[in-house]
Amino acid sequence: MFADQFINAIGTGVMLGSIYAALALGLAVTFGLLHIPNIAHPAFVIAGAYVVAMGNSYGLDPLLVALLALAPFYVAGLGFYEFYARVFERRGSADTMNALTLFFGVSLVLETLLLMRFGTNQQSVSVGYVGQSLTIGLLSLPYRLLVPALLAPVMVAALWLYLRHTHTGIAVRAVAHDERALSVSGIDPRWIKRHAFGIAAATAVVAGAALIIIGPVDPFGGRLQIGRAFAVVVLAGMGSIPGTIAAGILIGVSEALVSAFASPSWAPAVAFSILLATLALRPQGLFGARR
Amino acid sequence: MNRLVIENLNAGYGSVAVLHDVCMEVRESEFVALLGTNGNGKSTLLNTILGFVRPQGGRILLDWDGQTIDLARLQPHEIVNAGVALVPEGRRLVPNLTVEENLILAGSCPRAKDQISRNLDFCYTTFPLLKERRAQQASTMSGGQQQLLAIARALMTSPRIMLIDEPSVGLAPIVVGQVFEAVRELQTTQKLTILMAEQSFFQAVDLASRAYVLSHGHIIRAIDRAVEQIDPEDLRAAMMGLEHS
Ligand SMILES: Nc1ncnc2c1ncn2[C@@H]1O[C@H](COP(=O)(O)OP(=O)(O)O)[C@@H](O)[C@H]1O
Ligand SMILES: [Mg+2]
Repeated sequence: MFADQFINAIGTGVMLGSIYAALALGLAVTFGLLHIPNIAHPAFVIAGAYVVAMGNSYGLDPLLVALLALAPFYVAGLGFYEFYARVFERRGSADTMNALTLFFGVSLVLETLLLMRFGTNQQSVSVGYVGQSLTIGLLSLPYRLLVPALLAPVMVAALWLYLRHTHTGIAVRAVAHDERALSVSGIDPRWIKRHAFGIAAATAVVAGAALIIIGPVDPFGGRLQIGRAFAVVVLAGMGSIPGTIAAGILIGVSEALVSAFASPSWAPAVAFSILLATLALRPQGLFGARR
Repeated sequence: MNRLVIENLNAGYGSVAVLHDVCMEVRESEFVALLGTNGNGKSTLLNTILGFVRPQGGRILLDWDGQTIDLARLQPHEIVNAGVALVPEGRRLVPNLTVEENLILAGSCPRAKDQISRNLDFCYTTFPLLKERRAQQASTMSGGQQQLLAIARALMTSPRIMLIDEPSVGLAPIVVGQVFEAVRELQTTQKLTILMAEQSFFQAVDLASRAYVLSHGHIIRAIDRAVEQIDPEDLRAAMMGLEHS
């Protein structure tokens, strides 16, 4: 009985944690790499979930919709960065507080738009595998968690390879450290930041698909995720892309264990407790470079 | 004739004027020294050429291959892509990237990306030390090595003209010698066009075919070796402000 509960808590925790990583990945790019605290990212994820639900209402598979929406979300991210840059960076007033205010405003606008267009009703998708589980011995893995959980490793691997091995990827890793170094290298730092924002936004629609496969989503669903997404990015170590998976899983498993053996109402405190404990020992996070 | 021409340039920071009516020229394959002690505007001049500081008056023209490009209209990365490279003061490498990534970053700019592997080979042949350390993080290298990397990075952009800002700053004298030697080598073997700001003066003047002395943002001496002999003592006196010009 205990073993059963324990193993399944771990299984659920790993899957949830992987999904947290998918949710946080875009933030790992904008905040971790570019140092722009884009708290609107979870709202983007919710918008992505709505787009996936709309596509699904025409009978399309959620993952297919996410794939088709990658390019439009990328373009929306470009526009979003351009807006941010025009409001602040040109005037040289891009401090964190201003940026947070702007992104908070953007979240509210996104939520309101969704609310006006779709109402307060929750949106959901219907896919064949929801309701079924993969059973391995004592361990039971519901597909509605397992499928979304597999998205994070795929996205993380793709993004990591991209950042390591392409010219633009190298530039994205460089831009937060020294914009002038990029200019001197003949690369437009602003173009690179805009591109990175586009990538971050594109991850949001995949994360949105993950979220809505797990369960119904409402316009305000992003709010719950903001704190956890920041916790994942900072715990991973600013700028560490693979670290988001480890950090997500660490949080996910801890939450699942706390929920199973203490009380589910304590679970929300878990992410920050782990974050604070880790930062006390390793200020640079799990995988961040010392600075 | 291929050249960079600066005409009556005025530039500064906000209301602080730093450069006053600066006129100078750098011709293809020349080595020009820009001399001046601390705070006289050498970096401001190089940063204005590269577009980091906006000119308040005058012109910066790149006359090359029959085309005239007005650099004052362009942004820094566009100026680099027009063929003007800068080895900046303080080097400004990307600390968290490896030596090779720093080089590839610059080599992938639009101007040079077709020649990236040839440029990389050239840099590694010219600076074997960088090849040995290609996988090392830039921030973990010594000052002299970083300076060589900054020069190599500028080479990766296939420059027509290379601006070098005080490469000797913060380096031990023996290392300064090595850096100057590398620059001299590039200049003589590759006929690279160079404008170098320096106050570590004798080495710079040795290499130069022409020299300008900048004092309080004014050019107070312009000397051309082809026309007259360079008298190092006179230049040094001008640079130190030991006499009126
Ligand atoms: N970013 C800046 N903002 C305001 N003033 C500056 C800035 N950079 C340099 N200055 C001023 O411009 C003048 C010239 O400095 P600089 O061009 O760095 O000289 P140099 O390179 O010859 O030492 C100095 O008086 C310096 O204080
Ligand atoms: Mg200087």
